[in-house]
Amino acid sequence: MTSSFHVERVLGLATFQDRGHRGLMHAAVPPGGALVPELLVAANRAVDNPDDAPCIEVQGRLSIISTAEIAYAIDEQPARSWRDGTAIDVASGSRRCAYLAVRGGFVGVQASFLAAGPRFRGALLCAGDEPLRTGAAFPSANLPPVRRDVLPTADIPPLSAAREADRDSDVIRVVPGPDLDAFAGDALDILTGATFRISPASNRVGTRLDGPLVPRRADDRERSRPMVIGALEVPRDGKPIVLGPEHPTTGGYPLIAVVASADLGRFHAIRLGGSVRFAVS
Amino acid sequence: MAYVALGDRAIRVARPAGVSPRAIVHLAKSWPGVVDVVVAREDVAVYFADRPVIDDAQIAALASATDDGTPVREHLLRVTYDGADLDDVARATKLSVADVIAKHQAATYVVDTMGFAPGFAYLDGLDPALELPRRSTPRERVPAGSVAIAGRQTAVYPFDSPGGWHLLGRVADVTMFSTHAGPLLALGDRVRFTT
Repeated sequence: MTSSFHVERVLGLATFQDRGHRGLMHAAVPPGGALVPELLVAANRAVDNPDDAPCIEVQGRLSIISTAEIAYAIDEQPARSWRDGTAIDVASGSRRCAYLAVRGGFVGVQASFLAAGPRFRGALLCAGDEPLRTGAAFPSANLPPVRRDVLPTADIPPLSAAREADRDSDVIRVVPGPDLDAFAGDALDILTGATFRISPASNRVGTRLDGPLVPRRADDRERSRPMVIGALEVPRDGKPIVLGPEHPTTGGYPLIAVVASADLGRFHAIRLGGSVRFAVS
Repeated sequence: MAYVALGDRAIRVARPAGVSPRAIVHLAKSWPGVVDVVVAREDVAVYFADRPVIDDAQIAALASATDDGTPVREHLLRVTYDGADLDDVARATKLSVADVIAKHQAATYVVDTMGFAPGFAYLDGLDPALELPRRSTPRERVPAGSVAIAGRQTAVYPFDSPGGWHLLGRVADVTMFSTHAGPLLALGDRVRFTT
């Protein structure tokens, strides 16, 4: 059974996301995908979808109407039934983003790299084909249900880890380097000794951190280097940027550390304006 | 030390001299557990699905990596030379606009690295007479398809994006990154420009 959806209102940014893609970074295509894969997977499992079925990632609020009855889930909440004509509200609330999954998935949504093109437009990069606009309509629901016991689950961290991000301040583990020689001797101590604030000027390309400056050596020679999701790159101004799913694959700033892969979703779940601390793993 | 950790899912090594970028990608992608490879000017990063498992012999082998033998693709891109910086480039290089265009078209370029934006290829081989530093103030928006130069390189912007290179023109009839076929240019490809 298919139904269609009508976007009543978007406040902030709502985009289709899946778990991203691999194997194309040599062509400068970053992994993309959900900021918090743990929540996307939880929402999909609640409605018996494949783990990587596209969901709507909401940074802010989304109000959406379905034309037919359908099951849906938000983040790690249990599945609920959606009656025709009723509106459902999705709000990121105490986290940076929330995920809406519908049983069967969203039809016609190409969240693969082949849809990645337009999302790299401009400085304010948006994901999916295009951000969802108020008034947009799209069909849904024809993926076959997936039996949960056949899902590969090994690489999904426990959801409790993502729930932790409800707290305002959280310790995120980092792997130091690889460019420590580009920084002043006390830079790593500064990074791990202070509380940083997640700047509202953050997006899916990078998360900006407000806090004490992380000092660079004046004589460091910048060069274009390979980047990775979770890398803490530091421009000359000393304000670190943590690279997100749509990061450029190369960049000129040195890396003081990289967020541990197990903590990446938890880091990206911290709301804008929330605080974070870093510790060497 | 042959390599450094780039987080807990990737490593970075110095790029071996004189080895083609696609040979590096080809070899590193054949290693167990490897999902991605990025070749930058001076570094190579290798990305793993899980914790990197790697030894010094593998790293050393990169220096003698050989190409997979697939023919190098050649592209002839038609350009409309009406870029916003064409006059400025002519002034700064003390050349006529016609000479700037002629020199840009005379060279055969090679894709040495890719980065910045999906499908953005850094093309080596720009005539030294056209070498200029990047614009002091980058543009907030450079239109997709713009043909630009900076340093000793030229490139075509695949998407509307910010950019600090000097705009010479735009490609006439080609899509640099198609949502169906992906990027037009690949590491090692040869590119020439024509009118």
